[in-house]
Amino acid sequence: MPNTDKGKLNRREFLKRSAVTAAAVSTGFGIKRVYAAKKKRLGTGKKVIVIGIDGMDPRLSEQIMNAGKLPNFDKLRKLGGFHVLGTSIPPQSPVAWANFINGAGPGSHGIFDFIHRHPEKQCVPFFAMAETVEGEGYWEIGNHKLQLDFWPFNHKRTATLLRRQGTPFWDYLNEADICSTFYNLPSNYPPSESKHGYHQCLAGMGTPDLLGTYGTYQHFAEDGPLLTKDEGGGKRSMLFFENETAQAKLIGPRNNLLKIPEPAVINFSVYRDIGAKAAVIEIQKHRIVLKEGQWSRWVKLDFEMSTPAFMPNKHIRGICRFYLQEVSPNFRLYVSPINADPSDSALKLTEPPEFIKEISNRLELFYTTGFQEDHKALSNKVFTDEEYRTQADYVLKERLNLLNYALENYDDGLLFFYFSSTDLQAHMFWWDTDEEHPTRSADDAIKYFDHLKGIYRKLDSVVGDILKRYSDKATIIVMSDHGFANFKRQFNLNSWLRENGYIQPTDSTSILRDVDWSKTKAYALGINGLYLNLKGRERDGIVEAGQEREKLIEELISKLEAVKDVNGRSVIRKVHRTDKAYSGPATELAPDMIVGYHRGYRASWATCLGDMTTEVLLDNDSAWSADHCADASEVPGVIFSNKPIGAGAPFLIDVAPSILTEFGLKIPSSMAGRNIFTT
Amino acid sequence: MMHFLTQIINWINVPLNAAGKFLSIPVCSLPGWLSNTLISAVTGVVLLIIFKYTSNQKAIGRVRDNIKADMLALKLFKDSITVTLQSQGRVFKGAFQLLFHAVKPMLVMIIPVSLLLAQMGTWYQSRPLLPGEETVVTLRFNSDIEGPWPKVDIEPTTAVDVTSGPVRIFSKKEICWKIRALEGGYHRIIVQVGQRQIDKELAIGDGFMRISPERPRWHWADILLYPGEKPFGPDSVVQSISIEYPQRPSRTSGTDWWLGYFFVASLVFALIFKPFLKVRI
Repeated sequence: MPNTDKGKLNRREFLKRSAVTAAAVSTGFGIKRVYAAKKKRLGTGKKVIVIGIDGMDPRLSEQIMNAGKLPNFDKLRKLGGFHVLGTSIPPQSPVAWANFINGAGPGSHGIFDFIHRHPEKQCVPFFAMAETVEGEGYWEIGNHKLQLDFWPFNHKRTATLLRRQGTPFWDYLNEADICSTFYNLPSNYPPSESKHGYHQCLAGMGTPDLLGTYGTYQHFAEDGPLLTKDEGGGKRSMLFFENETAQAKLIGPRNNLLKIPEPAVINFSVYRDIGAKAAVIEIQKHRIVLKEGQWSRWVKLDFEMSTPAFMPNKHIRGICRFYLQEVSPNFRLYVSPINADPSDSALKLTEPPEFIKEISNRLELFYTTGFQEDHKALSNKVFTDEEYRTQADYVLKERLNLLNYALENYDDGLLFFYFSSTDLQAHMFWWDTDEEHPTRSADDAIKYFDHLKGIYRKLDSVVGDILKRYSDKATIIVMSDHGFANFKRQFNLNSWLRENGYIQPTDSTSILRDVDWSKTKAYALGINGLYLNLKGRERDGIVEAGQEREKLIEELISKLEAVKDVNGRSVIRKVHRTDKAYSGPATELAPDMIVGYHRGYRASWATCLGDMTTEVLLDNDSAWSADHCADASEVPGVIFSNKPIGAGAPFLIDVAPSILTEFGLKIPSSMAGRNIFTT
Repeated sequence: MMHFLTQIINWINVPLNAAGKFLSIPVCSLPGWLSNTLISAVTGVVLLIIFKYTSNQKAIGRVRDNIKADMLALKLFKDSITVTLQSQGRVFKGAFQLLFHAVKPMLVMIIPVSLLLAQMGTWYQSRPLLPGEETVVTLRFNSDIEGPWPKVDIEPTTAVDVTSGPVRIFSKKEICWKIRALEGGYHRIIVQVGQRQIDKELAIGDGFMRISPERPRWHWADILLYPGEKPFGPDSVVQSISIEYPQRPSRTSGTDWWLGYFFVASLVFALIFKPFLKVRI
């Protein structure tokens, strides 16, 4: 006789299961299980996959598609799922991706540039996406200081805060019990907390290395400087060999527990064999054998941070890769930026925090910083073009492994995956003109631009694979935040302001050093931002709000839009008034104007951090030879979908509302965008 | 004397390795936590029996009874400082006496336990290389090597691919290679050193395999620590060869953790079986 009571619970069984559940919940194991169970319960069946391809350019895409070399993108185009995608003002990645996240413009999220300033400190810059706010109060013990955030001390701990404001669109999904998983999402470090527990995110652009920077390589060479020298994005040191053995120090995270903070260091030894053109590196318990031109795998590092004597020392785990560039006559060794160890990270890299461990259990070690392609090493001539290409291609390889993991672990809901290769390789390899390239020969310029086109083709096959697996089951969106343009000439906005009498004195060299604020009316900071020295807002402001402000803005706009290069070409396409371009509650730190350049032009390297040069317009001589920080109309992004795009001129802010609509949700009032799939 | 001790351990290792290889069959087929628990259980019981027959059980019983009496006195006469202090003193004395009585069995057990741990380390301390995984092989020359070093190279094999090396570390008298594992199974890497050939075992595969991370030099401590392979002779120009195996990640049968688990589990089993075997410890 069949047991009809099979599914029923008797009282004893019920109590037993309750006890087991209670015990499990009271342990970490329990939490994890419950979390997993919660995720599983939420299957709504609906699938939306968004592939974010940073910097994918519509013109280049069309050109390669027309040549028949992007068959999968072309398939989407033929389905009516292809359009140029309007970007943000300014078209910088942190701003653009935040537009995507909020489904609204910068006035909603408060990110206007890579760099912002504190007006109450006049113009002290800070990174716009996340800011480390120093703690308050500490307890001194010998050489150490302790911040104790409990009674009776109530010290305020140093914390890194996400500066992006507003409601991210996944909150609306999660509120409706729809899972969302993001891999390498820009403008979300430290990842915002999941309000409803159905959101997972691996932070992308904006995530620092262990030195607290966007990525600092360390370079050791026999011809390096005797004392370690910082060079924007890297450190150089000298190696001295005795009996073919050299000792060096790898600089790690700063120990903030010291009264005078110092970085933790790891000593390591290098043994070279000139005959074999190879070397052995001994660092902590690792022994690494490298031939000239060889990269090591990821190496785990343990930085020990000293603490007061009564406490055990703190350990911060990092990972790095070694690259042996040359053995002789000038021994050169590159060490990648020290990334947080994904298997044991001191930084919060994911939401929920255990998500990074789940990924690492499967993929082991991988880049965790936001900027993974080491463009600084190429700009600072530590890398050759070929070395940069090798390193950047490795990043793409890791990303593809991560994508496989993402797809294998995807059931339903929203899946977002981000590729950086088309942006950070384009910055260095894009060159779509016959004009002379800033750093390479015409042949090499063509060769590396072809390499970039090859990445488009590689991503086409990735999209093809996703279409094959999900085309009939999911809405698939492939999008970029902006396009690309050559960067041939640089414009020093601060020098121009000085030349035109808006910055005083006339021999000043930097707005951070020697400007007379009592006579300065405007200044530039960041790549596209132009600020007035406004009374009541800037610490030393002099420009009155109202008529004076209005008049000054209009005067600056007309003068700037009239600036011509030596060959007569117009430099600036449009200067946007932010009080007209932006709306929303988060405009407090917005510049007064956004300067939009013509293709081929960009703000000069010096002006971004307030420095002035003798010339206002000068050639760009950097390997960073392409950019997108022009006017928004010059560098739009692109959108592809397996559903026809009905909207006439879609913008980045329309993507999030479209995703919500795909899941049957209403577009919330916090969003300014519309559904792109309807006309 | 040292040479004699080294020779003794070398001889002991021969039957132990044979037994270890025999035990590999269950260890390799069971989950790590289970095999370590079973070994711990058997070891705990065996050590308890050894303790019983090598210790003075009567004396231990007397000491324990006295401690119990003094504990009772402490409870009953807690108002009397004289009695309390005297009893406390006697409890401490009893504890030291118990330690003293444990010395003899400990001395008897230390060698077999060390040999057992060395054998267990070959299973649990590291995991074999996975096909495609890279690692470093290091050959150490004898410290008194003089003149130019002999030509040294790894013979080509289908089991591994030499991706870098030989790289000479002159200051340490070492030569390194980076190799990539190719084929699963136990292999022998043949190294040509001048006119002589030497070999080193290599384990490639998944799960549990007996691993010998080093073919040791002629020294009793190294032979005890790395029992898996025959040591190099005292006159050999090559002192040792080692392979860096990856750590095994497990809290019960993985790198370093297996040892703590073994001690705790064997202690638990010894305590469980103590009343049945009528052992006083």
